[in-house]
Amino acid sequence: MEKTKALSKIGLFIFDPGGGFAQAVDLETVVQKLSKAKNVSRCEVVADILATGFLLSVKEDLRAGNLNRILWVGRFSPYQEKRIHADLSAEGLNPYLHEWCDVKEQGIGKKGLDRIVQTQKITILIQMAVARARLIEALEPLSLPAADAVLIIGAGVAGIHASSSLIKLGKRVYLIEKESGVGGKVASLHRLYPRICDPRCGLEFEIEKLRRSDKVEVHTLSRVKALDGSPRNFEVKIEKAPRYVSEERCNGCGKCAEVCPVTIPDDPRLHFPQNQDQSRKKAIHSPTPMAFSSAFVVERQHCPPQCRECVKACPAQAVELQQTPSEMTLRAGAIIATTGWDPYPLSKVEEYGYGLYPNVISNLEAERLLENPPELKEVGFIQCAGSRDERHLNYCSSVCCSASLKQALYLKERLPDSRFYIFYQDIRTPGFDEELYRQVKSLDNVIFIRGLPSTVKPDGENGRLKIRAEDTLSGKEVNIGLDLLVLAGGMAPSEGSGEIAERFNLPLNNYGFFESHLQCHPEESQRAGIYVGGACRGPMNVAQSIESSHRAMVEAMQFIDGTFLVEPTYPLVDKTKCDKCKRCMEDCSFSAYYFDAEGFPTPDLARCRQCGNCMGTCPITAISLRHFTIKQTAAQIQAIKVSSLPKEEPVILAFLCKNDAYHAAREAADSDVVIPPNVFFIKVPCAGSLNNALLADALSFGIDGILIAGCKDGQCHYVRGTQLVKTRSVDLSDKLKKMMIEPERIRFENIEIRDSKKYTELINSYMKDLKAMGPNPFRV
Amino acid sequence: MPPKVDREKCDGCKAEKESLCEQVCPGDLMHLGADQKALCRMPRDCWDCMSCVKACPKGALETRIPYQLGYHVARLIPMMGTNTITWTCIDINGKVERFQYRNRGSDD
Repeated sequence: MEKTKALSKIGLFIFDPGGGFAQAVDLETVVQKLSKAKNVSRCEVVADILATGFLLSVKEDLRAGNLNRILWVGRFSPYQEKRIHADLSAEGLNPYLHEWCDVKEQGIGKKGLDRIVQTQKITILIQMAVARARLIEALEPLSLPAADAVLIIGAGVAGIHASSSLIKLGKRVYLIEKESGVGGKVASLHRLYPRICDPRCGLEFEIEKLRRSDKVEVHTLSRVKALDGSPRNFEVKIEKAPRYVSEERCNGCGKCAEVCPVTIPDDPRLHFPQNQDQSRKKAIHSPTPMAFSSAFVVERQHCPPQCRECVKACPAQAVELQQTPSEMTLRAGAIIATTGWDPYPLSKVEEYGYGLYPNVISNLEAERLLENPPELKEVGFIQCAGSRDERHLNYCSSVCCSASLKQALYLKERLPDSRFYIFYQDIRTPGFDEELYRQVKSLDNVIFIRGLPSTVKPDGENGRLKIRAEDTLSGKEVNIGLDLLVLAGGMAPSEGSGEIAERFNLPLNNYGFFESHLQCHPEESQRAGIYVGGACRGPMNVAQSIESSHRAMVEAMQFIDGTFLVEPTYPLVDKTKCDKCKRCMEDCSFSAYYFDAEGFPTPDLARCRQCGNCMGTCPITAISLRHFTIKQTAAQIQAIKVSSLPKEEPVILAFLCKNDAYHAAREAADSDVVIPPNVFFIKVPCAGSLNNALLADALSFGIDGILIAGCKDGQCHYVRGTQLVKTRSVDLSDKLKKMMIEPERIRFENIEIRDSKKYTELINSYMKDLKAMGPNPFRV
Repeated sequence: MPPKVDREKCDGCKAEKESLCEQVCPGDLMHLGADQKALCRMPRDCWDCMSCVKACPKGALETRIPYQLGYHVARLIPMMGTNTITWTCIDINGKVERFQYRNRGSDD
C-alpha cells in the first residue's frame, strides 16, 4: 500500500517578514542547501505570506501537482494560519498536509548568538520538519452515528435541572431514580439559603416542564443493572421495582391511604419527642419526596398478609398487587451521573449522643422543625459534626455552616425569645454567604462559641441536655443546658454513587466521590461519555450542583448530536505487528481499548482521548497516533545530523508535553535569556506517548542527552502519562547502565507551564553535566 | 549462556497467556513459571540467539556471550530502536565495543 502512494512534493516556505531571520542566519545557504533536499520541490523565503501573488503561485503549483504538501517555517499568527488553511483548502489541500515549523520557539533569531551556529541549527530544524513533512498524510475526521438521548441517573436537583435544560434544546432524556418520587435531598429541605425560600417551589417549576414534555421519560423505583456499548451508543439495563399501582389508572385520589391499616415511619427519621406521632404515612402513599406522576406506591414489606383493603377501596381499579420487577434496556449517547450525596451517619460521632437522646437531631431532621417549631428555650448547633475530622470525614462539607446559619435565622424568627448557641471550629461562609453570617451575628441571643463540645449528657430526668465545652477564644469552660441540639452532619458520598462506580467502572477519589480532573475537566469522569454532576463529585450547595450538572450536560451534548465527530488524530493499531500483549489496554487511563473480533486490542474512538499513551507503551511500536506516528517522529530524530555539529558541544533532544513544558520552553525562547544552541525539542501530545524505541533511536544516533518533560505528578490531563513514561524511561536508563553508558543521558523532569526559568536552568545544568560526561559513545 | 531473568523487572507480560519472550523463542524454551515470571526451561538447549532479550519490553532479560566467543562476564547487550539495533559488547577485560545496525524489511 505504501509503495503506491504518490511521491511527496514539499513546498518549503520560510516566512521572514521583517528580515529578522536574514539578519540572524545565512538564509541564502539554508535555501540553497534545502532546495536540494529529497522531496523538496520548491523552497523560498517569503516576506508577506498573505500576499495575493504568492498565494496564487502556490495555488497554481498545487493545481499543477508540483506540490502536495507545504512546510511553513517561521512564526505565524493564528489568523495567518487560519487564512492559509482556508485559502488552500479551496485548492484541495487537506489541513493535515500543512506542516508548521516554528523555528523561533527553538531559539532562532535571538540576538547575541553566532551566525554560523544559528545557520546550522535552523538547517537541522528545517531538515527535521522536512523529514516529518515527507511522511504526513491527508486525514479526514470520522463521524460516527450517535444515539440522540442522554441518560441521567438520579432525579435530584442536579438531574432535574439538567433534564429540563436538555429538553429545552430538543434532546431526549431518560431520567432514572431509585426512589418512588423525584426531588432528592433538596426536596426534603424546608428552606434554601440565601433567599430563604422553599426549595419545592423551584423544583416543582422544573418538574412541571418534565411532566409536560414528550422528550423525557422518567423511571422511578429504578436502578441501573448493567452497562453495555460505548459512548454515543450506550445500552443501559434498568431494573424497575414494582410500584403495585398502575401509573396509567391511578389519579391520586387517596382513598386507598384512608383505608390502609398500616402506618409507617416518616422519612427522614424524626424522633424528637414533640413530633413522635406525627407520621401519617401509610403503607400505600403518594410518591416521596415529590410526586412525578400522581400514582401512589405500596411498600409491600409493611403490608399484612392477605390484606386487600386498598384494592377494594380504589375506585379506578389501579392497585395491582401482583406486579413483579421488570427490566428494560435504554439506548443513550451519553450518561450523566447525578447520584448526589448521603448524610454522614451521625451515630458514628459518638460523643454527641445522636440516637441515644431524642433531642439530639441532625440538620436534615431540623429542616422539618423549621415551620412549626415546638416551644424551645435554648437550642444548640454543633458545626463540623463529623466533617474536618480524621476519624470521620476528612474534608469540609462546605455547606453546613451556611445551612446552620440559615436554620438559626429562620428559627429565631419563630422563636424570638429563645437563645441559640453555635459551636464551631471555623465558620466557613464562602462568597456572599458571608451576608448570612453577618445577619445571624447581629441577632440578639445568638452566641457563637469557638470550640466543639466535649460531652453531651442528659440533664437529669427533665429531658434537657447538658453540654460541656471549652470556649477556645476566652479559654473558659462553658456549661450549658439545652432543649435541642442540632448536629451539622457532613456530606458523605452516596450509596448510589458507589453502586454506579462499580457498575460503570468509574474511579472514585480518596473520599469516595467520583474522580475527575478537578480544575480543567471537573465534570468528566475518566470514562468517555459518562459525566458526573452535582454533589456526587464532592460537597457543594444547591446552586453549585445545578451549575455542575449543566456543565456535565454541555459536555454530554457532543455524544448526542446524531453524529459524533472524531478528530482524525486517533491511534491506529498495526495488526500485522501486534502480538496482543495487552499493555496498551492496561495503560490506557480511559479504558478505551477493547478486543475486536480477531482478538486484537482496538481503541474505541468515542472513548479515546488521543493522548497516545498506548503508542508510548507498545513494546513493538505497533501503535501510532495518526499525524504523530512513530515513523514520523523517528524520521525527525534521524534528521538531527549530530555528526555535523562540533563534538565538544553536547546535543540535547527534548521531548516536551504540549500542555505545559512546551509553553515553558516557548516562553524561554521568547524571553531574552540565552539558551544553548544545541537543544532541539519535539512537541508531544503527552509525555506518556513517548516510546522507548524512539529514545533508543535518539541515543544510537548520537544524541548526548534526552530530556523528557511532562506535567507534575497528579496534574497530567491524561491521568497517568507522566508516571508511565517515568517508569519506562527508568527501565531504559537501567539498560544504559548495563551498556556502560551513563544512565543520566535520559532525564525526566516535571515542568509546569510557567516554569520557563526552571526550563532554562535545567537545560544549562544538563549541558554542564553532559559536557562532564563527554560525548555519547555512539556519536561519530 | 541462557537468558538470566531479572525477577524484579519481569512482569510476566502482565500474565498474558504467552509472554513476549515465549512467543519469540525459536526453541520454545521460554515460559512463565508458577510465579508468573519468565523462565528458560531447558538452559542447555538455548542457542543464545538473543531474540528474547531484544523482545523484552522491560529490559528484564540478559544473556552472557557463549564461552566459545568470550569467557565468562563478557556481555552482549542489544538496544532496539524503531528500525535500528544497537549492540554493546563488553569483553572480559572490560573493553567496550559498539555496533549499530539498521533494520530493513519491515517497511522500507
